[in-house]
Amino acid sequence: MSDPDAFAALGTIHDAPGGPEAAVTGPGRTLAGDAWETLRSSWVFWGSLVLIAFFVVMAAFPGLFTHVDPASCQAARARVEPSSSAWFGYDVQGCDVYARTIYGARASIVVGTIATLTAMTLGSTVGIYAGFFGGLVDSLLSRLTDIFFAIPLLLGSIIILTSIPTPTGSAFFSILKVSLALAALGWTSTARVARSSVIQVKQADFVSASRALGASRTWMIRKHIVPNAIAPVIVITTISLGSFIGAEATLSYLGIGLQPPVISWGIAINDAAPYVRSTPHMLFFPALFLSLTVLAFISLGDVVREALDPKAM
Amino acid sequence: MARYVARRVLQMLPVMIGTTLLIFVMVWALPGDPFAGRCGQRPCSDAFVAAETARLHLDQSLPVQYGYFLWNMLHGDFGTVANGDTVLHQMIRAFPITLKLTTVAIAFEVVLGIGVGILAALRRGRAFDRATLLSSLVVISLPVFVIGFLVQYIFGVRLGFFRVTVASGAPWRDLIMPGFVLASLSLAFVLRLTRASLLETLNADHVRTAIAKGLPRGMVVRRHVVRNSLIPVITYIGADIGTLLGGAIVTEGIFNIQGIGGLIFSAVKLRENATVVSVTTVVVLIVLVVNLLIDLFYAVLDPRIRYE
Amino acid sequence: MTEIDQTAPLLQVRNLNVLFRTRDGVAHAVNGVDLDLAAGQTLAVLGESGSGKSVTAQAIMGILDMPPAEITSGTVKFRGQDLLAMPEKVRRTYRAQKISMIFQDALSALNPVYTVGFQIGELFTVHRGMSRKDAKKKSIELMERVRIPGAASRVNDYPHQFSGGMRQRIMIAMAIALEPDIIIADEPTTALDVTVQAQIMELLAEMRRETGSGLILITHDLGVVAEVADRISVMYAGRVVEHGTAEEVFATPAHPYTRGLLDSMPKLIGEDSRLYAIPGLPPSLTNVPPGCPFSPRCPRAEDICRHDPPPPEIELWSQRTSACHFAEEVVAHGVR
Repeated sequence: MSDPDAFAALGTIHDAPGGPEAAVTGPGRTLAGDAWETLRSSWVFWGSLVLIAFFVVMAAFPGLFTHVDPASCQAARARVEPSSSAWFGYDVQGCDVYARTIYGARASIVVGTIATLTAMTLGSTVGIYAGFFGGLVDSLLSRLTDIFFAIPLLLGSIIILTSIPTPTGSAFFSILKVSLALAALGWTSTARVARSSVIQVKQADFVSASRALGASRTWMIRKHIVPNAIAPVIVITTISLGSFIGAEATLSYLGIGLQPPVISWGIAINDAAPYVRSTPHMLFFPALFLSLTVLAFISLGDVVREALDPKAM
Repeated sequence: MARYVARRVLQMLPVMIGTTLLIFVMVWALPGDPFAGRCGQRPCSDAFVAAETARLHLDQSLPVQYGYFLWNMLHGDFGTVANGDTVLHQMIRAFPITLKLTTVAIAFEVVLGIGVGILAALRRGRAFDRATLLSSLVVISLPVFVIGFLVQYIFGVRLGFFRVTVASGAPWRDLIMPGFVLASLSLAFVLRLTRASLLETLNADHVRTAIAKGLPRGMVVRRHVVRNSLIPVITYIGADIGTLLGGAIVTEGIFNIQGIGGLIFSAVKLRENATVVSVTTVVVLIVLVVNLLIDLFYAVLDPRIRYE
Repeated sequence: MTEIDQTAPLLQVRNLNVLFRTRDGVAHAVNGVDLDLAAGQTLAVLGESGSGKSVTAQAIMGILDMPPAEITSGTVKFRGQDLLAMPEKVRRTYRAQKISMIFQDALSALNPVYTVGFQIGELFTVHRGMSRKDAKKKSIELMERVRIPGAASRVNDYPHQFSGGMRQRIMIAMAIALEPDIIIADEPTTALDVTVQAQIMELLAEMRRETGSGLILITHDLGVVAEVADRISVMYAGRVVEHGTAEEVFATPAHPYTRGLLDSMPKLIGEDSRLYAIPGLPPSLTNVPPGCPFSPRCPRAEDICRHDPPPPEIELWSQRTSACHFAEEVVAHGVR
C-alpha cells in the first residue's frame, strides 16, 4: 500500500542543498495551459485515463461485462481452474471468479472515491486555513495534523475498524465505515500539501497587490489562493485515490475491511490467500485488476505532477 | 543548534500526548459497546467485562480513564492475552525479529535503491533509466500483499530459492525474501528520489564553481555532488525506519514472521483488541521518537537547518 | 605545462564559435568572437542577456557542459598556448591558478553544506598540497584581505550566514587566492544592492591592482563599465560589434547598437522628455536573421545590412574596430 505523503515528497526536491529553488508561476502563459500541452502528447496520460474510464464503467455497469451472477455459487465447482466456460475459474466457494472480479470493481472504487473526496475536502480546508491565516491558527492546525499524521494509515484504520462494530449484512454501512476510516487518517497528506502551496502563493506579489486594492479575505481565498494552490492538491488527490483503493484491499485482506455480502477485490484476495500456492488463479485475477486500477491512478497523478512542475518548462 | 533540538523535542511532546489520546479515544470512547467483538465471535462473559471494567476504570470519566491508560503503559502493563501471557512479554519477544527484518529491508533500500538511482541518473533518458522509472512506478502501485504473494509464489514455490515461510527464530537467510518485499515500496521511492536529487544537483551552480576552481572531476562528484544530493535520500530512509518498524503487518503475515507486525496481524485476526491497541500505541510512539532522531540527524547533515 | 612565452599577449581569443544543441534547434551562442587582454588591463565585455558574453567566458574557462554545448572552432591563446587544444588534464591545472572566475550569484555558487573556510581552503589543499590547518590560515588571510570583519571566527561559518555583499567578497577571495594572471568576473554585482555594488567594484579594482592580473569584466551595466574598464568589447547576438578603449567607445561609439545603448541611459541634463529605448528585441539564437544581426532594429540600416555576409570587422585605427558597414560615419556623425 503506497503512502501518498512520501510520493508527494518526491515531487520537488527543495532539500538538495545548492539546487534551484522552486518557482512560483510567473505571469503570461498559464501553468494550466502549459501543463495541458505536455499532457496531451503523453501516452502515459491517455493510457491511464483509458484504464480509469474502463474500470469506472465496469464499476457502474458490471452487467456489460458479464451475465453471470457473482452470488450464484456451487460448492461442487470450488477452486476449479480457468476454462473456456469460466475464464477466470472458480473460487473457494464455487463462485465465478470472473463475475466476482467484475462486480468487485464497484465496491473498491466506491470506497476509494468516498474516502478521497472526504479526505480532500477535510484536508484542503484545514490546509488552506492553516496556510492562509498563519500564526496561532496555523500552529494549532499543524499540531492537529501532526497528531493524525503520526498514526500510520494501516494501523490507525485497524484500530478504528476493530472498534466500531458493523451490523452484519449491511453493505452500505460497511462501505461507509471503511471509507470514513481511511479518510479520517488519510486527510493529513492533503492538508500538508494544501498548506505549503497556499503559503507559497501567499507570498506572491499579486496577492499583496490584491490586498492593497482592498480585497476581502474570503475573496482572496476564493479568487487567488485556491486556483493557484490547487495544482499540487489535484496531484495528491489523484495519487490518494489509488492509495485508498490499495488500502481498502489490504484491510479486506486482513479481514477487517469490507465484509460479505459486499464483493470487492480485497475480499476476493482475502478468500483466495490461503490457497495461493495450489490454486493461484483465484488470487491472481482480482489482484491484477486491483493493481491495474491503482497503477492507473498513480501514473496519472505522477504524469500530471510532472506536467505541472514549473521547473520542467 | 541547541535551540533547534529543544524546539523539536518540545514540538514532539504534544504530538505524543495527542496521538496516544487519539488512539485511546478511537478504541474506548467511541459510542457503542466497548466490548462488542472483543472476545472473538462470542459475546464476552460477565466476569471478563467486570474484570476489564475494573482494570481499565471504564466506570470513571474519560480523562481519568486516559490517565490510567498512560499510567499503566508507563509501568509496562499492557494487559494480558487469552493464553495468560502478558502483552509486554510478547512484544519483547517479537521486537528483535522485527528489528532483523527491518535491517534487511533497509539494506535493500540503501544498496539497490541508491545504487540503481545513481545509475539511472547517470544514464538519464536512455533505456535503463526509462525501465527503472516504469518498474518503480509499478512497484509503488502494487499493494504490498500483492507483491508479497507474487514474490512468495515465484521465488518460493516455483523456483524454490527460499523457504516459503520463515522458520521460528527468523534466521537471516529466510528473511531475504520478506525483507525485499517489505523494502519494495520504499526502495522504489528511494530510487526515484536519488535519481531526481542527483540530476538536480548535477546542474547546480556550486558544482560549476567547483569545476572552475580546478578541482579534479572525481573530487567534484564526491564532495560537491554526492553529499548534497544524498541528504534528502538519507532523510527519507531514516524516516522510513519508523514506518518499517510499524508497518510490516502484511509482510509478516504472509511469511509467518513472529515479529511485531505478526503480533498485530494475529491479534487482528483473533480480534484481541486490547493487544492491537497496546502494540499499536507503542509502535506509534517509537516511530515518533525515531523520526525526531532523524530530524536531529538531518540538522547535522544540512547546516542551513540548524539556524532556522 | 609546456613553456609559457612571457612576451606573448596575455589572452588572445580568435574566431570563437560555440553552439548549443537544444530541443528547439541549434542555438548559435557565440559567432566568430575575438578578444584581447593585456597584462594589468581591465577589459569589459558589454552586452545584454543572450548576447553570448557568459558563454564566451565559460568557454575560456573551459567549464561549458559539452554536450549540449559545442565549440566548433576558434582558439583561446593564453600567452601563446591554445587552451582549447590542450588535454583536459593540463587544462585543469590552469583553472584557478592561471585563470579564475567570479560568478554572479554567490549564494548558489557556493556549496551550502561546507564552511566558507573549507571552500576557500580547497584551493590550497588541492593545488598547493597544503594541510587543512595551513589552508585554513590562508583562508583567514584572504578573508581579511577582502575586508570581511571578524575573519578569524567567520571562517567557520556557512555561506547562508553572510550577507550578499560579504558572500561576493568571499568569491573574490577565492578568485585571487592562487594569484592568477587573469580574473574573469561574470556579472559580479548584478545581484547586489546599488551601494554594495560600488563597494564590490572598488574592491575588485583594488585586488586587480595589487595582484597585477588582467580582469575581464562581463556586464550589462554601463555605469559599472565606465568606472573601471580600460577597454571595452561590445557584444550582440553572439558577435563582437565593437572594440575600443573605454573613452573611445563612450565618447564616439562606432556601432549603432552601442550608440543605442548609450542613448538609452537616462541623462540628468538634456531636453528629451522621454527615455529612449532601442526598439524591438534581440534575435532568437536559433533563428538568426541573415546579414547584420542588429539590422532589424537599426535606425541606420540599409539593404546591404540585411543580406549576407554579415558586416566584417572594420578597423578604424589601431585596436579600434566596428562590425558595421557604416562604421566611419557612425563615429563621425552618430546615428540619429
